Amino acid sequence: MTSGLSWKLLSREWRSGELGILLLALVMAVSVVVGVSSFVSRLQSALLSESARFLAADMVLVSRTPVSDEWVQEAESQGLVTSLGVGFPSMAVADIDHMALVSIKAVSTGYPLRGDLRWSREPYGDVIAEGSIPAVGEVWLAPRLFALLDVSLGDQILVGEAELRVTGAVRGEPDATTAVFGFGPRLLMNVGDIPATGVIQPGSRVEYRLLLGGDRSAVSSFTEWVEPLLGQGQRVDSIDGSQPRINDTLDRAQGFLLLAGSLAVVLAAAAITLASRRFGERHTQYVAILKSLGARSWEISRLYGFSLAVLGAIGTVVGCAVGWAIQAGFIQLLGDLLPVEPGPAGWKPVLIGMVTAAVCMVFFAWPPLRRLGLASPLSVLRADVGIADSQRPQDYLLGGLSIVALMWWYSGSAAVTLAVIAGLSVVMGLGFFAARGLLSGGRRVGGFAGSIWRVALAGLQRRGRANALQMVIFAMAIMLMLLLSVVRSSLIGQWQAQLPIDAPNHFLLNLAPEEKPVLEGFFREQGVATEALYPMTRGRILSVNAEVLPEWREVEGEGVPRQREANFTWSDDLPEGNVLLDGEWWDADDSRAWISLEEGFAQDIGAGLGDRLSLRIGAAELEAQVRSIRKVDWQSMRPNFFVVFPRQVLEQYPGMYMTSFRLLPDQKPVLNQLVSVLPTVTVIELDIVIREMRTVIDQVARALELVLGVILVAGALVLISGVRSSLDARLKESALMRALGARSRLVLGTLWIEFLVLGAMAGGLAAAGTEVAAWALQTRVFEMNWTPTLALWWIGPVTGALIVGTLGVWSCRRVVNTPPVTLLREV
Amino acid sequence: MIKVSQLLKTVSTADGDLNILRGIDLEIEPGASAAIVGASGSGKSTLLGLLAGMDVPSGGEIWLDGESLNELDEDQRARLRAEKVGFVFQSFQLLPALTARENVMLPLELAGVSDAEQIAEQFLVEVGLGERLSHYPTTLSGGEQQRVAIARAFARQPRILFADEPTGNLDTRTGERVIELLFELNGRASTTLVLVTHDERLAARCDRCFAMTAGEIVER
Ligand SMILES: Nc1ncnc2c1ncn2[C@@H]1O[C@H](COP(=O)(O)OP(=O)(O)OP(=O)(O)O)[C@@H](O)[C@H]1O
Ligand SMILES: [Mg+2]
Repeated sequence: MTSGLSWKLLSREWRSGELGILLLALVMAVSVVVGVSSFVSRLQSALLSESARFLAADMVLVSRTPVSDEWVQEAESQGLVTSLGVGFPSMAVADIDHMALVSIKAVSTGYPLRGDLRWSREPYGDVIAEGSIPAVGEVWLAPRLFALLDVSLGDQILVGEAELRVTGAVRGEPDATTAVFGFGPRLLMNVGDIPATGVIQPGSRVEYRLLLGGDRSAVSSFTEWVEPLLGQGQRVDSIDGSQPRINDTLDRAQGFLLLAGSLAVVLAAAAITLASRRFGERHTQYVAILKSLGARSWEISRLYGFSLAVLGAIGTVVGCAVGWAIQAGFIQLLGDLLPVEPGPAGWKPVLIGMVTAAVCMVFFAWPPLRRLGLASPLSVLRADVGIADSQRPQDYLLGGLSIVALMWWYSGSAAVTLAVIAGLSVVMGLGFFAARGLLSGGRRVGGFAGSIWRVALAGLQRRGRANALQMVIFAMAIMLMLLLSVVRSSLIGQWQAQLPIDAPNHFLLNLAPEEKPVLEGFFREQGVATEALYPMTRGRILSVNAEVLPEWREVEGEGVPRQREANFTWSDDLPEGNVLLDGEWWDADDSRAWISLEEGFAQDIGAGLGDRLSLRIGAAELEAQVRSIRKVDWQSMRPNFFVVFPRQVLEQYPGMYMTSFRLLPDQKPVLNQLVSVLPTVTVIELDIVIREMRTVIDQVARALELVLGVILVAGALVLISGVRSSLDARLKESALMRALGARSRLVLGTLWIEFLVLGAMAGGLAAAGTEVAAWALQTRVFEMNWTPTLALWWIGPVTGALIVGTLGVWSCRRVVNTPPVTLLREV
Repeated sequence: MIKVSQLLKTVSTADGDLNILRGIDLEIEPGASAAIVGASGSGKSTLLGLLAGMDVPSGGEIWLDGESLNELDEDQRARLRAEKVGFVFQSFQLLPALTARENVMLPLELAGVSDAEQIAEQFLVEVGLGERLSHYPTTLSGGEQQRVAIARAFARQPRILFADEPTGNLDTRTGERVIELLFELNGRASTTLVLVTHDERLAARCDRCFAMTAGEIVER
């Protein structure tokens, strides 16, 4: 057969509309995959820049010694913008009676490279977010420093030997959580004033921060260049890993999006298989005729192989274009909701689309067609001689493996892939039994039921194998849709739980015991909701099992046990939100010298359960034995402690109290009064950070919803092609029934029953698969708590029955709307 | 040309083995025409299918134009069909996706004939379907479909033509026209004709006539 003939046959085929269905499935597959993946990658780069705000840069070079000019020049020559900063704790002095320990941050022009610096003229006044920094000779103070130092706008203060004028209040720094220098309130000044202060001496605890900004390739090439040159006390902070809370959110969002993309791949494969099987089945006769006319197996194979290749090429091109449009539509839809300009999608989505198309064609479309070549010409003579079976177990196995590989490549996560596979395996495993039950049990039930039911159940059995396959595919599609909805709502639920609307948004530290009544009275007066007061004593761990730990500055590098200072507290009960990893909790009246450590802290000092620690609190030293190791939820906005003692052990040491409370935006002036009533307390404002996190989460949640929408559409398409796959047989049969005198009501009724039963069973299977996959995803990938979603067990079958039933009957409506002769005439 | 010895065909059914052909011996010389008659279900179509190499016998041997079908695999038999054999099916077997013209062109194209279109049209005109060239099978009547199938079998001018009740669905006049065509081909290109028929007139025109009863054959 010449390739000219192949073209001819292909174009004739095209006219008949059969290839169109296959092409549609392929275009759908490629476009969903390309659309989702390019949307995800554009979103990722957008979210990445969003999280860049928390570094105030795309990358920060942190150093304990001044950053060499050569590095700055190199960075600039590589196309990066730079801004140098210095941070250290020091004293700010207004006069003899008013001085305070402050955390100084000196910045230079350009700061911050990412995000906004918020400040105001008056403490707690209206926030200004325009890009400027304190000029040389000026300082901006944290609002409470105004009260502590008893200064107002325009006053002069001393930092070291430099006299600087107060010109504003710092209200929010993008990198407040990543650039921390000691515990004092913030004092923001210009780097130009640093030499005049004379406070930076060799050996003083200074952190130099070189902020760098630029496109991703420039950032990574500079990182590669500089990393080998880093000396002691120098490191590179990049966007990943900079801001744990936001990072967590983004990680999970990304995990979700990639999961969605992988599901798109699976759905695509399912749609292609269905379309190709149908194509193959319809062509059995065609091939038999060709063979009886003398066409040889390889000629048939070449014909279909050629057709598929042409189809694959067209499908890839069209799919990529449609996918690009989908993605553009998404971005359009999200509009200004996106925190920043979405980044470029790059070529990876197109590559993924091409590989998806190739895999779909080779492993899913080809096997049913390849076996066409083996069709016996005899089936021209006898209708019952079909192809043995259009797909062999090997085909399924190969297809399955290729899908796993594709998902893996696509999601980059073995855990995500395995979770989905686990769910799908459950669906297929149970599907096998369900199908057997359907085949053997159906007739018995049918025996008792009315004639519609009998006909319907007999129909289900007659096409037993086809129905079983159809049911499993329905179940898979429904499962993937359910799974994505379940994961989405639990992700969003968890994010919301993490930042509840009424979460405390301020911390108050350093409250003296005798000030307790004052604070309580003040809060009552102002109507401020507050949490319990937590005792807090500063202390230091000196040795573990009599082995003295080196001091912090004596050791370099990670992982070496060292002395650590921390806030100690006492508690009768395991603090709320903490999880006991090892050991036991003490009774409230226990007076023995127990101690409970946070997991990471225990690692830092190199201590384990049962170890004896010696500690220093103020001038006193004491011994305590590790009674338990805890996991602390740092995501929560509650006060959390590394070290906890029984009440009777710690109570005897002098300590301070801390608490958290919640202020509404219009209550902010309360802070001014608070610092004048209780000038020594420290207030940490988290409200701005929390608000920012909430915006990010809202945007991410919206993106997830959009992606979920796409997957639902893809799932619906699979369901439609599933229904279509049995359409021919059903149409013929129903036409015959009508020709033999059955009324349309009976025909419609049997169709409804068949599809409702199939859909409900598929929905049940899907619920089981969803539970398994959701369990795996939530515990292994998203690190969330898992609870079974019981609602699935009725939502699955009901939606399954409704969707499949409606789609099925709708697709077959032709049967009752056209005279049976028309259908019987179709060859 | 066609030689058959001790041909057996057995199929297993739910009710045990069914012997459809029970030892057929047959020899038809090149250029001859042979009719096979017999009751419905006696095994005529089965025999024809075996002769055309579309099925494998359970026993015995078939030689077609000197080649033993037993020694050929499926693809080699396909080649043989493409080169030498034409077949008119009892149930037409047209490709629904192709027009009448395209259906007739198909075997020509499979054999790489260059002016497939003219030949196809010429044969369709000969069977009286000159007006229906671009019609799809679904829009043709049973008899018209039958004639397309005949044109398709003729178009290749095969060395051997098998026809399973070629006139079964036709009115007398068209039936006669088809019979004329068959014998014209037989005379012009000395094509060997093997026909299954219930039509006594057709059987009478053949050089030889075989009768089948319950899987056995005798010459009349
Ligand atoms: N694969 C098979 N399985 C079961 N029975 C078969 C098979 N092939 C043929 N038969 C049976 O063998 C018998 C002969 O079939 P065949 O089609 O050859 O009859 P025929 O002589 O052509 O009849 P008709 O004149 O009605 O076309 C029939 O009874 C048929 O049911
Ligand atoms: Mg017959």
